[in-house]
Amino acid sequence: MLIRHLLRTFTAIWREGACMLWYVGKRLVQSVMTLFIIITIVFSLLRLMPEEGYLGAAAEKMSPAQKEVYLTSLGLRDPLPVQLGNFYADLLQGDLGKSVTYRTDVPVVTIIADKIMYSLLFGLGAVALSLLIGVPLGIMMAQMKGRWLDRLGTGYIVFVVAVPAAVYYLVIQMYITDIFHLPMLFDEYRPITWLLPLTSMALAPTASYAMWMRRYMVDELNKDYIKLARAKGVKERTLMFSHVLRNAFIPMAQYLPATILFTITGSIYIESLYSIPGMGGLLVDAIQRQDNTIVQGLVLVFSSLGIMGLILGDIAMALVDPRIKLGKGESVR
Amino acid sequence: MKKKWFLLVCLVALLCAACSDGASDDKKSEYRVVYSGEIKTLNYLKTSETNEFAVAANLVDGLIEYDKYGVVQPGIAQEWSSNEDATVWTFKLRDDVKWVTHEGKEYADVVAQDFVDGLQYVLDAKNESSTVWSATVVKNGEAFYNGELTDFSKVGIKALDKKTVEYTLEAPTPYFLSMLNYVCFFPVNGKFLTETGEKFGTTRENFLYNGAYILEKFEPQNERLLVKNDTYWDKGNVLIERIRYKYNKEAATVAPELFLRGEVDTAEIPTSIIDEWFNDEKKKSQVRQTQNNFYSYFYALNFDPQFDAEYEPENWKVAVNNKDFRKSLFHALDRVSAMLTVEPYNPQDLLSNTITPKNFVDVEGVDYTQLEPLAAITSNDSFNKDLALQFKEKAMAALEGKATFPVKVVMPYNSGMPDWANRTQVIEQQLEKLLGVDYVDIIVEAGPSTGFLSEVRRPGKFALIEANWGPDYADPSTYTEPFSVDGTYNKPELAEGYKEANGKTTYLNLLDKAKATIETTQRYNLFAQAEAFLIEEAFVIPYSVGGSGYVASKLNPFEAQYSPFGVTAEKFKGQKVLDKPMSNDEFKEALAQWEQERANALTNATK
Amino acid sequence: MGLYTEEIDNISDKSRAELFEFFETSDRQAEETAYSNYSYWRSTWQSFLKNRMAVLLLALVFIVVAFTIFQPYLPAQKSPTEIYLDDQTGLQARNIAPNAEFWFGTNSIGQDLWSRIWAGTRTSLMIGCVVALVEAVVGITIGTLWGFSRKLELPITQLYNVVDNIPTTIVLILMSYILRPSISTIIIAMCITGWVEMARFIRNQIVILRDREYNLASKCLGTPDYRIIMKNLLPYLISVIMLRMSLAIPFAIGAEVFLTYIGLGLPISEPSLGNLINEGRVLMMSPDLRYQLIFPSIVLSVITIAFYIIGNAFADAADPKNHV
Repeated sequence: MLIRHLLRTFTAIWREGACMLWYVGKRLVQSVMTLFIIITIVFSLLRLMPEEGYLGAAAEKMSPAQKEVYLTSLGLRDPLPVQLGNFYADLLQGDLGKSVTYRTDVPVVTIIADKIMYSLLFGLGAVALSLLIGVPLGIMMAQMKGRWLDRLGTGYIVFVVAVPAAVYYLVIQMYITDIFHLPMLFDEYRPITWLLPLTSMALAPTASYAMWMRRYMVDELNKDYIKLARAKGVKERTLMFSHVLRNAFIPMAQYLPATILFTITGSIYIESLYSIPGMGGLLVDAIQRQDNTIVQGLVLVFSSLGIMGLILGDIAMALVDPRIKLGKGESVR
Repeated sequence: MKKKWFLLVCLVALLCAACSDGASDDKKSEYRVVYSGEIKTLNYLKTSETNEFAVAANLVDGLIEYDKYGVVQPGIAQEWSSNEDATVWTFKLRDDVKWVTHEGKEYADVVAQDFVDGLQYVLDAKNESSTVWSATVVKNGEAFYNGELTDFSKVGIKALDKKTVEYTLEAPTPYFLSMLNYVCFFPVNGKFLTETGEKFGTTRENFLYNGAYILEKFEPQNERLLVKNDTYWDKGNVLIERIRYKYNKEAATVAPELFLRGEVDTAEIPTSIIDEWFNDEKKKSQVRQTQNNFYSYFYALNFDPQFDAEYEPENWKVAVNNKDFRKSLFHALDRVSAMLTVEPYNPQDLLSNTITPKNFVDVEGVDYTQLEPLAAITSNDSFNKDLALQFKEKAMAALEGKATFPVKVVMPYNSGMPDWANRTQVIEQQLEKLLGVDYVDIIVEAGPSTGFLSEVRRPGKFALIEANWGPDYADPSTYTEPFSVDGTYNKPELAEGYKEANGKTTYLNLLDKAKATIETTQRYNLFAQAEAFLIEEAFVIPYSVGGSGYVASKLNPFEAQYSPFGVTAEKFKGQKVLDKPMSNDEFKEALAQWEQERANALTNATK
Repeated sequence: MGLYTEEIDNISDKSRAELFEFFETSDRQAEETAYSNYSYWRSTWQSFLKNRMAVLLLALVFIVVAFTIFQPYLPAQKSPTEIYLDDQTGLQARNIAPNAEFWFGTNSIGQDLWSRIWAGTRTSLMIGCVVALVEAVVGITIGTLWGFSRKLELPITQLYNVVDNIPTTIVLILMSYILRPSISTIIIAMCITGWVEMARFIRNQIVILRDREYNLASKCLGTPDYRIIMKNLLPYLISVIMLRMSLAIPFAIGAEVFLTYIGLGLPISEPSLGNLINEGRVLMMSPDLRYQLIFPSIVLSVITIAFYIIGNAFADAADPKNHV
């Protein structure tokens, strides 16, 4: 009897898992195609940018003949399909090319690798901090809805959302370093300088998590089954954690993989203010300087992460909530 | 890898480590600054940006340098001579200059062949050098660059022996010495260059130094550290031992605060907060003006308008060809109020009545702008309300029936530059108020922040525009390039009514005559004549020179090398870190004294 | 034979027509007893009105919007772009602190900040509204289709991934290069890229709901798809949609501030909150000039706070459990 029961459960899980794997596999294959489309579009868009941007200050002084020679040697005069072909040929060999106007002749991979570590560490720290503070805050705000903690929390969320980030980051840097006599700029050998950028970066996500967690929990708390459970005499604590939290967490779960993956993009404001050599301004800088190889490399990296984030988020959702069926949606019953 | 683990451990220890160590650097003559313009490479043979010059100038020396009064001094070249028509120049080098590696170890001597190798690298198209336009002054340089010539030995540079270099030029160039102040003429060690190949200049290790400083640290978008080079041939003049640069994209906002807290030794004070600094007791003695640079700003009237039909380019063309109309605009522009958007305290100091700035070149101590043809223009402010209205009357009478009033004047600006945007609005309202909206209707247009020049100015999509030009060598001809036939500014050669017998316009004929003259006094006077013509006919309205605004700085600017053009102005050699920043009064005194000393030095130099 | 058989057999002897009357029935009356006058939206609205704070803020928002529209027509108002000259020097009246003539002071070239702020709020609100509306309509439609239909999942996921991963900066630079910077350029650029987040959000919510039992039941009953979406799924999501939309306008304004920070925003001759805040930001450290930052920030903060609280209150009110 027992064995037959176990066998049935096992095959059910196996079928469920296989269904999921098939779905994930399908998504991954589609992703490669998507990446191809994205890179091609971005590549083409970049070649629409004004040509003089590649020359910098020399644009005024060079004669048109000299400009032609220069642009040809950069490979920008070849027809678009030829340029695309060269790019993909290099890419398949793992060569992302060299930067031209950002850091001349340095491989793109080196530039990105140098910077990723800083952004990653700050980003992960900020994510950890904001989850540790934001989620419990949201839960408590929902539990004590209408009381002082809720009002305080709402005040905090409202402040972070209302005041533009550029302004309060600057305020924090200028005034807090003054009051506590801290150095203003980031120095990797002095841990005390890490504190402010980290906290500044965590402020907005904390508010966001708290706000959404509170909303989902409040919605759950209103449901009928909670009323019944209370009437039955279930302990408030069990109620909160085993029932409400589990259900409220489902919509949150989908964002986590993407958030973690996106820590590497860094925050352009914070890295500018504190002199952190991270990835934050790299994309905008590279685009404005028209350094096509870096932009292409970055778009490749970010797109892959974005697509992966979406897939992982879907998987996370399906794992947390057994009612969600990805793929064909056949009932396994 | 090691860095990653170190950072990880520190992040964990972050919560416990609440101590801030007071480990201060050895303050002995160290100069600290924050910067927001990162350089893209150390390879000085490829770059054309000021940021990169500032670094290269301190790491590598060229044939000549300048002293603090702007007189040419020997650099690596001990002595030099030229032939009669200034087409062949010969330089004899010092014999105690060495190339060292980033660790300070000697690599080789600096020899004449190094200059040949440097120029060959620049002129080779596959190296993608953006300073090649200056190097083509050398005979056959252009031909080699575009591939017509493949044998470099036919190009006009030769190493006659280990210590002698000879340049043969395309055309007579009396100002060739000043061109040597530019990075494309710097030497490079051929063997090292071939060894490192494409990696040359990407890191501090892939670089050889023969200048005043060596890079101890080079981390782009992070920091740089320059330390004094002990094997430098002129090390007695290098007074600052260490220079520390820290990158910060928000340097403009953050630097003034850092300066007040003693974390940096220099900070640019933006116009927006300068009021506050001057009103504060403690701060006002720490800030001062800077010297002007040699960028010339002027307002160009377009003779080949290509803007949208709705703004009536044909009408503008008719109006601009009338001299009275141009002169009404010339005298109506209130340059002081326009300057207030950039320099609210001393706007007069930046204004310039001529295209060529003052203190650029001189004839036996008499500044170019004081030469006879230009003297009257230099001493008179163009802004004159009465004259403007007089010319307005004349223009309206002369153009009756030919042009419709108000004439639409399209005036674009680069939307990525808020100062320029403000200034354009100020000028629009000022001109319309003075001349009346029945006469002109100025249309302010926001141009794209990317590719502004190629989208707006070069295709001629403007009627009136603020433009600038920087000099490339120390000769008045450099400031005539925007207005010559190949110029991409306002095409004065298309102005109607100036054609002379040989088919060219008056201005171009004046220019040709000047360019053909070798003897300095005559040459400069002829150029002054041409420029006076340009301004009298109101083809352009000279506006100002560039300035760096206000700074709080512990450097004395009058100790630095002074040159109208090129990289030596960026050298730290000869400067020292002051204990207190110079105040504005001290600056003005020092400026007056310097101008006097300079006049003497220049007169002595030509003897 | 039973006890009463005879009586029963003869029961019709006792009956006469007068003992019986026809009972008048009316359909309408029958309906009445089964009729309840519950209207979802009206209940939501009444629930919302009970929240004093939210109602107050809603009124405030209306006043602010009305003021920005009517302000130029009030007496003694100055033009937002005109440069005012100082009587004594004849030059620009720069950086004058708030006084009787210039209620909010002037900026660095002598333009009146009071009128600039209201003009800027008008511009920013307009941009925010248009972008939020487009975002909502397009985002919800695409998100629903994406989440609900398994057939459309592949193409829409591809579309989402492509649009999401092309850097907005490139799109914006190219657009301002080709079209010249202006209000319509920025609105178009923000609309093209703004709908993706909303679509993803809605799609995730729908994925969570689509396989729940009540939807399976509807499918079994043969309900057409659009009815399942309109009647089963969307009403369930009203509270979260409300919260999201209430913040759409402040976020659009925040995005505009960011774009101005990296140099791609509106030209400075068109006042907007983004421009004003960026201009004021660098003046933060000077006590004399700080007002140029404080006033626009206060306006932006008030708008954001108001929308947030209204949105939250509406989301709370939208839950049918609260209607009793």
